[in-house]
Amino acid sequence: MDAHSIFARPRDPNAMGAVNWRGLWTLYLKEVRRFLNVFTQTLLAPMVTTLLFLAIFALALGGAGREVDGVPYIQFLAPGLIMMTLMQNAFANTSSSIVMAKVQGNIVDVLMPPLSAGELTLGFSAGGVTRGLMVGCAAGLAMAIFVPMGIADPLSLIYHAVNGALMLSLLGVIGGIWAEKYDQMAAVTNFIITPFSFLSGTFYSIERLPADWQFIAHFNPFFYLIDGFRRGFIGTSDGEPLIGYAVVLGVNIALWAVAHRMFATGYRLKP
Amino acid sequence: MTLMESPRVRPFGPVNWRGMWSLYRREQLRFLRYGVESIAGPAITSLMFLAIFQLALGDRADPMPGVALAQFLAPGIVMFSLAHSAFEAAAVAIFHDKIEGMIGDILGAPMTPLEVVGAFALAAVSNATITASVILAIMAIFVDLPLHAPFAVAGFALAAALLFALLGVIVGICAERWDHFSAAETFLVFPIALLSGAFFAVSSLPAGVQWLFQANPVFHALEGFRYGFTGQAQESLVLAAGVVLTLIGVLGVLAWLLFAKGYKLKA
Repeated sequence: MDAHSIFARPRDPNAMGAVNWRGLWTLYLKEVRRFLNVFTQTLLAPMVTTLLFLAIFALALGGAGREVDGVPYIQFLAPGLIMMTLMQNAFANTSSSIVMAKVQGNIVDVLMPPLSAGELTLGFSAGGVTRGLMVGCAAGLAMAIFVPMGIADPLSLIYHAVNGALMLSLLGVIGGIWAEKYDQMAAVTNFIITPFSFLSGTFYSIERLPADWQFIAHFNPFFYLIDGFRRGFIGTSDGEPLIGYAVVLGVNIALWAVAHRMFATGYRLKP
Repeated sequence: MTLMESPRVRPFGPVNWRGMWSLYRREQLRFLRYGVESIAGPAITSLMFLAIFQLALGDRADPMPGVALAQFLAPGIVMFSLAHSAFEAAAVAIFHDKIEGMIGDILGAPMTPLEVVGAFALAAVSNATITASVILAIMAIFVDLPLHAPFAVAGFALAAALLFALLGVIVGICAERWDHFSAAETFLVFPIALLSGAFFAVSSLPAGVQWLFQANPVFHALEGFRYGFTGQAQESLVLAAGVVLTLIGVLGVLAWLLFAKGYKLKA
C-alpha cells in the first residue's frame, strides 16, 4: 500500500442526481436474482399448481357446455387462475424478502445505503411486479396450449396485470415490514391473501353469490383486478370498467403512501 | 465420590419404547407449538375449496346418485388435507433436523432405524389426523354428512396418512435443499393428492383417462374413505385396501433401508 494513502482524502462518493439510479437498479437486481435463483419454487411450481387447478375444474365439469358471462366456463376460469397466481407470487416476493432480511438482520444492508424511502419502495415493489408478471406470463402461455384464449381488450389486460402485481407487491412490503416473525407472515398469507385471491371471483361469476355478498364483493379491490384482467381476454365483465380502473389506481396510490411512510419513519425496521 | 454412582445404561427390552415415545412426543409438541398454522391454515384452505366448488359447480347434477355435491366433496377435501399434512409433517421434521445438524442427536440415540422411522411416521400420522379431524368437524357444521361405516373412515384415513408420512420420511431423507423438498411437494404430492377424484367422480370420466386415476394410490384410499361416509364406492374396497397396504409396505421398507444405510444422513 502507498505510504501516503492514509493521509489521502477519502474518495468522493459516487455523484448522483435527484434519484440514485445506480442504487435503485442494484436493489432491483438483487430482488430479481433472489427469486430467479430458486426458479423451480418461484416460477415452475406456481405454473404447475395453476395447471392442476385448471385440470381439476375441466374434469369436474366433464365437458358440459356450461357458459359464464357468455363464454365457455374454462375460458372464464383461465384468466382468473392467471391473475390469482400472479397476485400470490407478487405478494410472496416482497413479503418474504423483507421479513427474511429482518429476521436474519441483513435489512441494514438495504437501510444503510443512500436510498430514499421512495427508492426503497420502488426497488422492492418492482422486484415483486417482475416476479408476478413472469409467473403470470408463464402460467398464461402454459394454459394457452389447452384453452383457446383470445385477447379482446389489451389495455385492460395490461393495466390490471401491472396494477395487480403492484398492489400485491406493496401489500407484501407493508406485511413484511409489519411482521416480526415468519409465523406472522405465514398467518397473513394464509388468512388474508390466499382467501381473498381465491374468493374474489377467480372461479365463479360474482352473480352467483347471494345479493348481500354481491354488494360486499364490490368493495373488494381484488374483485376489480380479476374482473378487469378477465375482461382483457373475454371482453365482458361483472363490474363497471371505469370504476374498476379508478378503484385499482386509488388503492395503489394509498398503499404506496403507506409503504413509503413505513420506510421513511423506519417503522419496525430501525430500532 | 462414593456418594455419586456412575451413570448406568438404562436397560430396555427388544424395543426401545421410551426412545420411540420421546421422539414421537417431540414431534407432537413441535406440531402443537405451531398449532395455529398447522391446523388453522389447512382448515381455512379446505373450507375455501368447499366454498369455491359449491359456488362454481353447485348447480350441476349430483356426482354420484343420491350423493349431493357437498357430501361428495367433503371427504375428498379432508383426504387431501390429511395426505398433505402427513407428508409435510414427516418431511419437514427430518429435513429440518438434517439442515440444522440436529439429526445427530437422533442417529446417536440407542434406537434402531426401524424405531426412528416408526416414531417419525406415527407422529406425522397422529398430527395429520388431528388436523383432518378438526377440518371434518368444521365441515360437518355446513354439510349434512352421513356416516355409513365408521371403521372404513378411520381405517382408510390412518392408512392414507401412514402412506404419506412414509413418503415424507423418504423425501426428508433425500432432500438436500428446500428446493428439493418443495419440488417433491409441487410435482409429486400435489398432483397425486389433487388429481385423485377428490373433486369429481372418476367413473364419469372418459374411459381413456380413467386408468390414470386408477394408478393413483390416493384414488384408492379416497374410495374407501368416502365409502365410509356415503356407503357408495366406484370399485371394490378389498382392491382399495390391497393397493394402499401394499404401497405402505413398499415405502415402509424403502424408508427403513434408507435410514439403516444412513443415506444422506451420515457423513
